[in-house]
Amino acid sequence: MKLFGKTNFHGGVHMGDGSDKELTSNDKMIIYQPKTVEISMKQSGGRPCNPIVNIGDRVIKGQVIGTPTGFGVANIHASVSGTVMDMVTNKESQDNDVLVITIEADTNNGDDQLDTEIPTDQDYHTGFTDISSFSKEDIISSMKDGGLIGMGGAGFPTHVKYETDKTIDYVLINAAECEPFLTCDHRLMLEFGYDILNGVNLLLKASEAKKAIICIEDNKIDAANYLNDLLLEQGLPIEVKILETRYPQGGERQLTEAVLRKEVPAGKLPADIGVIINNVATAKAVADLMFANTPLIYRCITITGKVKKPANYFVPIGTRYSELVELSGGFTTVSNRVIVGGPMTGNGILYNSGISELEGSVTKTSSGLLVLEDMTIIESPCIRCGECERVCPAGLAPYKIDYAFITRDYDLCEKLHSTECISCGCCSFVCPAKRELAYRTTGARYTVANIRSKRRDKQNEK
Amino acid sequence: MRNKPTEVAHGLSPHIRDRVTTKGIMSDVTIALTPAFLGSIYFFGIQSVIVVLTCVAACVFAEYIWQSLRKEQITAGDFSAVVTGMLLGMNFPVTTPIWVLVIASFFSIIVVKQMFGGIGQNFANPALMGRALVVLLWPGTISQYVATNHGGLDATSSATVLSLIKGGKEIVDYSYWDMFIGNIPGALGETSKLLLLLGFIYLCFRKIVSLTTSITYIITVVAITFIFGQDGFFTGDILTNLLGGGLLYGAFFMITDYASVAPRVKVTLALIAGIVTGIIRVWGIYPEGVCFGILVANCLSGLVEWILPPHIYGVGLKKEK
Repeated sequence: MKLFGKTNFHGGVHMGDGSDKELTSNDKMIIYQPKTVEISMKQSGGRPCNPIVNIGDRVIKGQVIGTPTGFGVANIHASVSGTVMDMVTNKESQDNDVLVITIEADTNNGDDQLDTEIPTDQDYHTGFTDISSFSKEDIISSMKDGGLIGMGGAGFPTHVKYETDKTIDYVLINAAECEPFLTCDHRLMLEFGYDILNGVNLLLKASEAKKAIICIEDNKIDAANYLNDLLLEQGLPIEVKILETRYPQGGERQLTEAVLRKEVPAGKLPADIGVIINNVATAKAVADLMFANTPLIYRCITITGKVKKPANYFVPIGTRYSELVELSGGFTTVSNRVIVGGPMTGNGILYNSGISELEGSVTKTSSGLLVLEDMTIIESPCIRCGECERVCPAGLAPYKIDYAFITRDYDLCEKLHSTECISCGCCSFVCPAKRELAYRTTGARYTVANIRSKRRDKQNEK
Repeated sequence: MRNKPTEVAHGLSPHIRDRVTTKGIMSDVTIALTPAFLGSIYFFGIQSVIVVLTCVAACVFAEYIWQSLRKEQITAGDFSAVVTGMLLGMNFPVTTPIWVLVIASFFSIIVVKQMFGGIGQNFANPALMGRALVVLLWPGTISQYVATNHGGLDATSSATVLSLIKGGKEIVDYSYWDMFIGNIPGALGETSKLLLLLGFIYLCFRKIVSLTTSITYIITVVAITFIFGQDGFFTGDILTNLLGGGLLYGAFFMITDYASVAPRVKVTLALIAGIVTGIIRVWGIYPEGVCFGILVANCLSGLVEWILPPHIYGVGLKKEK
């Protein structure tokens, strides 16, 4: 469906007036170097990494400190030079063996000055760089060594996407940033335009695709114009595409539908239809990796909501959340809820507490730390208004799955295609009866997936 | 078990929710019905307040009693029973006996709504089912339509515009303007098209109803009654069919009711309702047909949903190449 000249995907919600994003979208990001970092051995989904350093070891910035123990996980590097002070099991996590490594940064020459400068004076920051010296294989193996993962939230290792044997036609650079409140990708585009475009060039080479499309929602028109200006008369196969502001535009399946008018078949990956999707922050990370030899040890994070001075911070991985909230002037509400990620899909980590109780640190996938007023939701019966079905980007009927899941009718859940749920949360957002549709539809999604894989195992045994 | 409040963990994502609530939607419908309700007082006198309030009170009371006895979450305060009561009351002529109203209200709420699982689970619009019950069991009690207080005629028994046409009579007493502003005999809420339209515009403005569903229904009925007119093909009286009876009341407040679920099938259901209403008006024994037309569509919603399955993202795609 084409609306007002802008392409669109099925369903979705237009969220608010954008004032939530304006809290942080107009100010330059703040570079901050903490004295200590706490790096979790679990930076994304999948099994946690194995630490390969010990307490007391000296590590230098960019050194590998954790290696993957399973599929779908990437290397973890030290984000500062310093000494490993501590290794503790993370209390907050449900996995019992997630270690958090604390590194205390060196002070320069006994001086109290820390290494606060994130180098921004390289060629690739100020103009287009020649990439002919890199081969496809170089780039992919560097991605693997450099611990690159999708920085949008899912955290799937980038190199795995590029190791496909399928022919790739398009690389989509996901700069939709459709979650309310978050502006880190927006600021990244405005402040690191050349880095990103050089990174996209590298991704094009690694994928051998014919075209890269940078997908930006129309609430970030300044970023789109800026990138377009940089691309002017360069003759690069990179296009900037402006999309309607609509959540969940940045879901990779929705982005594919909106931009290429194609759907990714159920149970398949975008690569199966010749598409690779990377977050815009990942594009910058690949540029840092290839041109400055910096693995993925920095990211931009939005600290916003009910804090005194909401802002974007450019920080090393492992920077403590409590430190960032303090830098932002602390909470402005007592009945708070602290969320890692965006308001729609993020995880609540703290309720009605002070900063001192805020645990956790920046990971490769933490796009934001959001403080909201806490709320209590009382569910009431479904009135079958059909709103959830209308907004569901997957075309599901969440109100039916909700009932099937409550009554444990998993066969019905399967028939209702609950495995195609993308857990975007639109259904719960619009529900006038305040039912926890997303929670239970997601529950049905994984329950049915489990049942299916068990069924497959049984068939294989026969 | 559906109506029991479900315990869930605190702080589930998404962490922001839309402001719309069930109570908000139902209050909006109540507000939208108010102009037509006030109009009925103007046209039919204070008795219309008694009719509507009896239905509202009986509906809310029935819901409260049922839920208390069954120890369910009490949702009697969510305005949904108020809406049913208003819709029901405004569906009857001002002369309807109180006992009929009370029975219809209890039937609507207890049999049609609660016995099928409460709000959202009813297979058909409770108010329409209440009316249908009375039409079938005690047709005599609601056949006394009276002229309005402002019609220049005495408030004596008189037939509705559509039943006059059904009887093959000429409409002489009422102009189209009378029909539009509501100066005709009829059920309380359905006579003034102007006030119904006001309420409907409010609902559209609040994005509570879908304009397409209502328009599909209206066009279908008008088209059928026009094509199969009394004096041969294409001779039907469009304006009388549009303004003379309860068509707009049904199109604005009944067919948009949530009993007819999935949005993608709503238009199809509106079409079915329109066809049935049209057939009843042209060939049936009832002059009106709105009530039964919509009820038939309500009952067919499951079938239509099955015939028109939704498109699930990534499922059932054509193989490329």
